[in-house]
Amino acid sequence: MSRTVTVGMCSIVALAASAAAAISDPLPPTTTYRQLPTMPFSRAMEIDSTQKPQVMERQRTMLDARYDLSDQPMDGVMMSGGRRAVQDGVRVRLPEGQTWDSLAAMTPQEIRDGDLLPDGFKPLPHVKQANSGQIFPQFVIDEINAQEDRDLTRFDADFDLPDHVLPEFPPPIFLTTHTHLGDVSRGELLTIKNHYEIMNGILTPVQMEGLRILLTPFPQEEFNQTEDRKTAEQHRGIACLDCHSNFNTNAGFHHTPDVRPQAARFRLDSPSLRGMFNQQIHGSKRSLRSIEDFTEFEQHTAYFNGDHVSAARKGEHIPDRSHKVAFMAQMQNIIDFPPAPKLDPMGRLDPDLATEQELLGEQVFMGKGQCAACHIPVESFMDHQMHDLKLERFYAPGEVVNDFVLLPDGPIKTFTLRGIKDTPPYMHDGRLMTLADTVEFFNLVLRTQLTQDEKDALVAYMLTL
Amino acid sequence: MRAAALALAFAALPALGFAQIGNPGFMAPDTRFDAQGMPEPNQPNANDILFAQLVAEGGMAEVALAELAVERAGAEAVTDFASRMIEDHSAANDELAGLAEASGIPLPDGLNAEHQAMRDRLEGMEGAEFDLAYMRGQIVDHQKTTQLLMWEITAGQDADLQRFAAATLPTILDHLRAAQGIVADLTTDRVAEAAPAADGN
Repeated sequence: MSRTVTVGMCSIVALAASAAAAISDPLPPTTTYRQLPTMPFSRAMEIDSTQKPQVMERQRTMLDARYDLSDQPMDGVMMSGGRRAVQDGVRVRLPEGQTWDSLAAMTPQEIRDGDLLPDGFKPLPHVKQANSGQIFPQFVIDEINAQEDRDLTRFDADFDLPDHVLPEFPPPIFLTTHTHLGDVSRGELLTIKNHYEIMNGILTPVQMEGLRILLTPFPQEEFNQTEDRKTAEQHRGIACLDCHSNFNTNAGFHHTPDVRPQAARFRLDSPSLRGMFNQQIHGSKRSLRSIEDFTEFEQHTAYFNGDHVSAARKGEHIPDRSHKVAFMAQMQNIIDFPPAPKLDPMGRLDPDLATEQELLGEQVFMGKGQCAACHIPVESFMDHQMHDLKLERFYAPGEVVNDFVLLPDGPIKTFTLRGIKDTPPYMHDGRLMTLADTVEFFNLVLRTQLTQDEKDALVAYMLTL
Repeated sequence: MRAAALALAFAALPALGFAQIGNPGFMAPDTRFDAQGMPEPNQPNANDILFAQLVAEGGMAEVALAELAVERAGAEAVTDFASRMIEDHSAANDELAGLAEASGIPLPDGLNAEHQAMRDRLEGMEGAEFDLAYMRGQIVDHQKTTQLLMWEITAGQDADLQRFAAATLPTILDHLRAAQGIVADLTTDRVAEAAPAADGN
């Protein structure tokens, strides 16, 4: 009797289990997790190298269709260190037969139905979507190799944008603790080889140790010792400041660690670390609430794409939270924005110092342009929020460009506009090359109907930030 | 022959002019490559095979469940949606079958346990109850198919299957949006019916 009941109970349990199993066949594991390599390293390198010209040609074709990437410096306007001119003009190409005004006069639905959103406004693909990882401009590779004998060249892909649309290099360094000194970089790129000589006497011991760790290479998904790497030699890895050169950015790019599958991961343009002391959320998608969290978790994200499983076999380095992370955070928190002599303590233009055009630009920024709704002057032109621009109102998602699926961006962190002329290209993925491009983009997205004078004034204003 | 014609048709799509370029590290060691380092056609890796089988089964289920919906649905929007599923997924199923045959991938010939259970459940329903259950199932199925298609684009190495995934994705996203809209309408209607009259009587 009792045996029958037990058997009956078991059957019920088994039935319930099979019903649960029937509704839960998971998607394949590599939709979320990184696949283990199946090809011998030497052969994978040979094939990647053979593909490289085609990879770069495909990217060039896409970029040329989207943008005018010619060298058109703005007359007499340099970045803060005086090492590179700021580029002029709108570079996103218009669809045939359209003008910026004709597009601005349409509804989002009309633009979407007519397939008229300029391609340069859409998400920008990584050079090699399937392989992913950091890609550095050649001038960064050369300088780090010269100083450290550490070669960041990849055999599968190169950087894709011309130097003149990128930030100056090496960028100046301004410290909140030493505003009287101005730029303390001596015109050098900080590395593990030179930082002590340059910074001793300026930093505290704790800041110096934080800087040393930020300059120390650690294994990364594509730069490591395993067969799953994209460098010819077994590699020591990359340092935090390989991308955030002198705590600014060199426009080296990566993939978001926060999205799967691989084809949906969007490009990330390295952000500047200037003004970190005022920034309350970190990571374009993660909204981490402190620079300490971000510093600690970057080992899982920038270094290993949000995949701690893959990281475990390649040599993940998690800095100790109570000491090393705090040191690294303290170092980052003394990096200042470049000086903005025309701004008063509230972040507003001083009318005695600003031009008429700059003042008009500020007026548009605060009013008709709606910029200040998120870029609040007194909060270092941020609002510590994420916002969804809902760009998919203007185009149909799902198109595949260079193996990358164009999907809605969703909410993205508001970036600061302080020192904005120093950090092209713009937006989280670097899809816009110039400040004039950003004005046209937001004029369309926010439907603000700005006149040409107002657009020009906004650009002039942003150069003062 | 038919598969070759389909492959040509896909290759001719202007938006997909460049072939997918995968990560060679994840390809099978016996893969043959052309002079540009691209895998020669019709050499599916394990991901391509799994993709073709999962999407073929899903497509078959789409048609089977939609045929049921055409008979049993209450709302016109659901019947219309089901007719569209039959049309779109029958076409996609035919294309996929041709591509799979060309690459020597065996496809399933019946529904899996999950979809069989779904069909059994739906067969006991009709009208408004059927509409919601069917449409909610459609949302999940199209969400899963969306992620599968994206997975194939970088994880596969059979260019014809990758092009099929890329070309099919916008349609699947469109189905998903339509299904979400219909479920929103159905549930709003249901709430409105259950609510007391506005004058409080």
